[in-house]
Amino acid sequence: MEKHKLPDLLMDGVNTAAGGRYNQVNINGVSRINGALSAHTCKCDGVMKLNGDLAAEEIEMNGNLNLKGNLKVGVMKLNGVLSGEGGLRGERCEMDGMLKLKGNCEVEELIGEGVFHVGGLLSAGVIEFGLHGLSEAGEIGVESLVIRKKGNAAWGRLLGGMVPKFKIGLQAKVIEGDTLDLEYTNAEVVRGGTVIIGEGCTIGRVEYTGELTVHPGAHVGKEEKR
Amino acid sequence: MEDDLISKKELLDETGISYGQLYRWKRKQLIPEEWFIRKSTFTGQETFFPRARILGRVQHILQKKDDLSLDELAGKLSEPASLYRVGLTLSQLRERNIVSSISLERFGRPEIAEIQLTFEQILNLFAADWLLSKGELNWEEADRLYQTLEAHAPGYGEKGWELFFVRKMGVSFFMMALPGAGLAFDEGVRLVSRLSSADLAEQLKGRLS
Repeated sequence: MEKHKLPDLLMDGVNTAAGGRYNQVNINGVSRINGALSAHTCKCDGVMKLNGDLAAEEIEMNGNLNLKGNLKVGVMKLNGVLSGEGGLRGERCEMDGMLKLKGNCEVEELIGEGVFHVGGLLSAGVIEFGLHGLSEAGEIGVESLVIRKKGNAAWGRLLGGMVPKFKIGLQAKVIEGDTLDLEYTNAEVVRGGTVIIGEGCTIGRVEYTGELTVHPGAHVGKEEKR
Repeated sequence: MEDDLISKKELLDETGISYGQLYRWKRKQLIPEEWFIRKSTFTGQETFFPRARILGRVQHILQKKDDLSLDELAGKLSEPASLYRVGLTLSQLRERNIVSSISLERFGRPEIAEIQLTFEQILNLFAADWLLSKGELNWEEADRLYQTLEAHAPGYGEKGWELFFVRKMGVSFFMMALPGAGLAFDEGVRLVSRLSSADLAEQLKGRLS
């Protein structure tokens, strides 16, 4: 009911706005928002800088979003780059591009391709991710995790300037989950139920309760069944 | 309290839950962030939890998760203990075996058997009963404990309390302090037991619901 009373924020071109509560936010171009923003839906094409928290039920983002605070979202579609000083909490995140967060990332579903850098804990129900560059997370805790190497030349050209030209892979200290299916992953400890260690992995220690499959092209320091 | 930790691995073994469930509950804020204590061990980084609290909470979630959605459960759990509206009578406490009938006879006045007790009152009974069942108190001490709690616990209000039970040269006494207080004693003192209201409330919540 309240949603209908809230105003919309529509901006084209180069703009600055204060934060606030809106029904719909629709931004095309370059904008800077000084303060927390909450909206029912938020659609942004272009560059947006936000000095505060962002909360929205739906976010569609094409371009570059720079966030000082935390992000709370229902469903997010991200094409481009999102960098946040805080954390992300949400239901579903579909992405093609780059997700950079200093804090934790907690979503039910993370599906997409590109690169992620999560400073803290990356926790999700389901992660299906195609890697296009070096991704990092402090710690990963999931129900199901599938990591695939997806990098190809077209992507490299597109994001060439932004993605560090490292080899494609995933780097994490600890990965824990019920079903883990990894490729090109470098981790100190992997703990899980059913674990598949695919090609190109370097894992210090694997602890598993169900089954473990190790690709001949992977290095595992120590295996332990509990 | 802080030294009684349980590692994540032990927790999973003991309760039979999986990594996925644990992380899901954390995402749903059923388990507070502060309970995740990271420490480095020789096998790499490990996560620890305050034992009594996490075991109580997991039991509680496991019991309730079939009846309530995780979101509803999260709403319930985030209510502070004092707002936790339960009223049980002494006879109900006895029936459900929350407090042993011996303790109830000792502390519960029979004439109020049908009066509803508040959460705090039940907590005090539960505390005394718990220490008695662990064999750390004798009856006389339990009486004093119960009186101390009745008299002083309300003064701590929302913040909760920690109770220290110490003995020196055969003399025993109780001390109450705000949670997290680092008390130091002289060498002859033996700390028999340390209880925090938050731990107790957690276990009690699980049993009451």
